Order: sequence, then structure tokens, then C-alpha cells
Amino acid sequence: MKSMAIVVRDDSYDKILTPLAFAYLQAAEGVEVNMLFVNWAVRALTAAGAGAMKIQGDHADQDAWVREQVAKAGLPVEIYDIIKALKATGKVNLYACSLAAAIFDVNEENLIPEAEGIIGASWFLNEKAAPADHYQYF
Amino acid sequence: MNAIKITRTLDTSGKCCPMPMIETNMAIKALVSGDVLEIIATDPGTRNDIPSWCRRTGNTLLDSREDGKVYRYYVSKN
Repeated sequence: MKSMAIVVRDDSYDKILTPLAFAYLQAAEGVEVNMLFVNWAVRALTAAGAGAMKIQGDHADQDAWVREQVAKAGLPVEIYDIIKALKATGKVNLYACSLAAAIFDVNEENLIPEAEGIIGASWFLNEKAAPADHYQYF
Repeated sequence: MNAIKITRTLDTSGKCCPMPMIETNMAIKALVSGDVLEIIATDPGTRNDIPSWCRRTGNTLLDSREDGKVYRYYVSKN
């Protein structure tokens, strides 16, 4: 595999771990990974949003326990720190969906420097997702 | 095992996916062709991940061992 595209929708702490871990795995192996953050997940590309992610729903009361388990697994506990680790591989590109950015108040000013920018979904789907060897949606 | 000369040991004990594979990728990059990386792991996922990774990357899995819940892999860099 040479390239992979991932669309991330879920913004709860536990649910965003999987796409980030998959991206980290593939990037470590030299695969180019392009990630589009849509819906609430676009806030992961802001420092405040990444820091505010929590476990939601039925497992909300297990947030602290899950973070302890993540630390034991060896991953950075904070989402922003995981994003920084992804970028450090030099193989991961992070894009904010322009629609999601408009709805969920993400802009060029609060976008983290690790993100490539705010882009149209059409561009991502045609230029990054369609040509990718593998595509995932979370 | 005495015939295998280990160049470097990577101990991932206690860590889980994705970290053993990420650290294995990083460790192998620091070696030169013919060097042998010993990987110690407790993540049972490595039993599939390491052999599969070797096949994809062209590195050679010289041997692997299980001692209870501890797994050891010996990989020669391509």
C-alpha cells in the first residue's frame, strides 16, 4: 500500500483513537495518509477542540480509566499529542472539511499548525480518496 | 538462538497496538542491512503483525519464540 485516505466524523475521545492509530501505523510504514475531518471531528484540528475531547454516551463515566489504558498502551494520552506524533512521521496530511469548519467554528486562526488547511470535500474525495489504495471512514 | 547475533533489542513490553509496530518500524530504520533486531512484546497482536510486516517490507523473520505471554522476534534487516 502506498496511500490511504481516512474520513473522520466521530469526535469522542475513544472513537477518534482508532483512525489516529491506524494512520500512525501506516505512516510508520511509509504509507502516505490523508485524513479529512468532517462534522464535529473537525474540532480535533483546533487546540481547544482536541483538548476538550471526552468519551461520550454510555461510556462517559469511564473517561479517566480509558486514558489510563491508553497511557499503558504507550500512546500519547492527549489527542493533540497524537496528532503531533502523526505529523512527525512526515507521512500524514490533515485536512479540515470546509463545510464542517463553517458549521463548527473552525477557521484559519484557530486551526492547529499541523493541519494542512481548510479544503473542499470535492477536492479531497477526488484528489486524495479516489486515487488512494485504501479508504476508510470513521 | 546462539547462532543469531543480535544487533539491537527493542522491548515493547506492556505496550499495545499501534506502538509495537510503530517502534519496530523506527528501530529497523536505524539499522543497516544484515543487522538483527530482537523485538520483545507482550501484545498478542504482534504474533500476526510482525510476520506480516516482514513479508511486506522484505525483512526476514529469522525466528520467533513465545514464553508465556512474552513474545520474542528476531528480524534481519533487508
